Amino acid sequence: MAMIEVKGLTKRYRDRVAVDGLSFEVGEGEILGFLGPNGAGKSTTMKILTGFLPASEGTAKVAGFDVFEAPMEVKRRIGYLPETPPLYAEMTVKAYLHFVATLKGVPRAQLKSELERVATRCGLLHVMGRVIQNLSKGYRQRVGIAQALLGSPPVLILDEPTEGLDPAQRAEVRQLAGKHTVILSTHILPEVQMTCQKVLILNQGKLVAYDEIHRLAQNAAQPGAAEPSLEEVFIKLTAA
Amino acid sequence: MRNTLAIARKELSIYFTTPWAWVVFTAMVGITAFFFVGSLSFFRTINELARNMGWARMPGEYQSFKNLTDGVIAPLWGVMIVITAIVAPILSMRLFAEEKRNKTFELLMTAPVRPIEIVLGKYLGGLVIVTTTLGLTILFPLILSLYGKSESGSALEWSTILLGYLGVLLYGASCLAVGMFVSSLTESQMLAGVITIIVMLALLLVKGLTQTADEPLRSIMGYLSFDTQLQNLMKGVLDLKAIVYVASISVFFIFLTHRSVEAQRWS
Repeated sequence: MAMIEVKGLTKRYRDRVAVDGLSFEVGEGEILGFLGPNGAGKSTTMKILTGFLPASEGTAKVAGFDVFEAPMEVKRRIGYLPETPPLYAEMTVKAYLHFVATLKGVPRAQLKSELERVATRCGLLHVMGRVIQNLSKGYRQRVGIAQALLGSPPVLILDEPTEGLDPAQRAEVRQLAGKHTVILSTHILPEVQMTCQKVLILNQGKLVAYDEIHRLAQNAAQPGAAEPSLEEVFIKLTAA
Repeated sequence: MRNTLAIARKELSIYFTTPWAWVVFTAMVGITAFFFVGSLSFFRTINELARNMGWARMPGEYQSFKNLTDGVIAPLWGVMIVITAIVAPILSMRLFAEEKRNKTFELLMTAPVRPIEIVLGKYLGGLVIVTTTLGLTILFPLILSLYGKSESGSALEWSTILLGYLGVLLYGASCLAVGMFVSSLTESQMLAGVITIIVMLALLLVKGLTQTADEPLRSIMGYLSFDTQLQNLMKGVLDLKAIVYVASISVFFIFLTHRSVEAQRWS
């Protein structure tokens, strides 16, 4: 069964169309890379999937639940990292994670072990007592990722999770896959090649490519020429 | 319930880690103390005068200076209400505007939390600070009851004092609800604060502006004015109509805030 099911999704802001008739499916345990130039509609699609924004047309389902009809069921199953990590600058890392874990319904008795698990995974154990305001950009991003992982949701939606991370931290993010179904957006193409099985390329709100990475390259290859890189495919598809 | 309390606790921790709670406490107690001293010395002058002339020959408006409750504490409530009209909007302005500007609103809206839990949690957090701010001024009646004297037993009428405080507290609660609603409409804290202060001061003053108006406008405006509604409570009369009026303003604006947050899902 598809974990995420999107059909004919359209989002209009007054006269501007941000997402135009988007349809795709993500199977359980799959990792889908969202690619596209700035303003292509990646973040908007993610905001609709998480129930933050309503769609103008079309439907989105997560684990069989419609995002608009059954928002609570969907929200319970999603860990979401928005473009800007949603952090309260005045709180300590520990207090912040404690707050988010409570909202996500982590039982009181398991709060401590859940915080520890996530903090270990994101390398935050030694900064738990620090105020978020004073953390570097990379650490703030890690807190944002940790927040999405709390409660082990089956679906992760990560908007540019590797932004501001150093190479070692990026490798850690790649390890996050595994038991989660993941949608992640990024500008770093090699990142996608290493992490994702499938990619979805958006341009001006429209889907221009949706396939497994190696097939995307094969299809784009000119007869007789060498197979193009993902970068070349991306530039060609989004040039229009 | 658990979510509501978690959000209330988060709001409280932010009020106390930023200087806001402390600034508001200091402003309320400091300014009220200033008026308390003034009010007390005026009370003393009037009483000395009355001792020489006898109460019977004193002008009617001075009759309230016969006891400490009406002569010293009741005037303080008027001052506290004006301070609350300025301080409560300062507390409420950040409730939603700050979340929207810092993009943390996205966290609340995508967590498995119902909008009503967010609204009530935030209101509760603010209400704890407003109650504490007003509660701190109980210091002044306490000073009077320790050092004051009266010919008829207890220096203060505590039943009147409690009703007066109930009135002021209900007023603070409605300022907070109006402010929270305004805050849910904008990303700008400054704008939310200023608009709420203007609205609350206008509602306080509306009676004064309509003194010369014709009926029925005059009665209607008088009825809507907080000033008229709170008068009886401050005189120690258990006025249920006033309690219901002021409390229903809070409920109405909490409801509007909920609509405004829920609308996010539809826009």
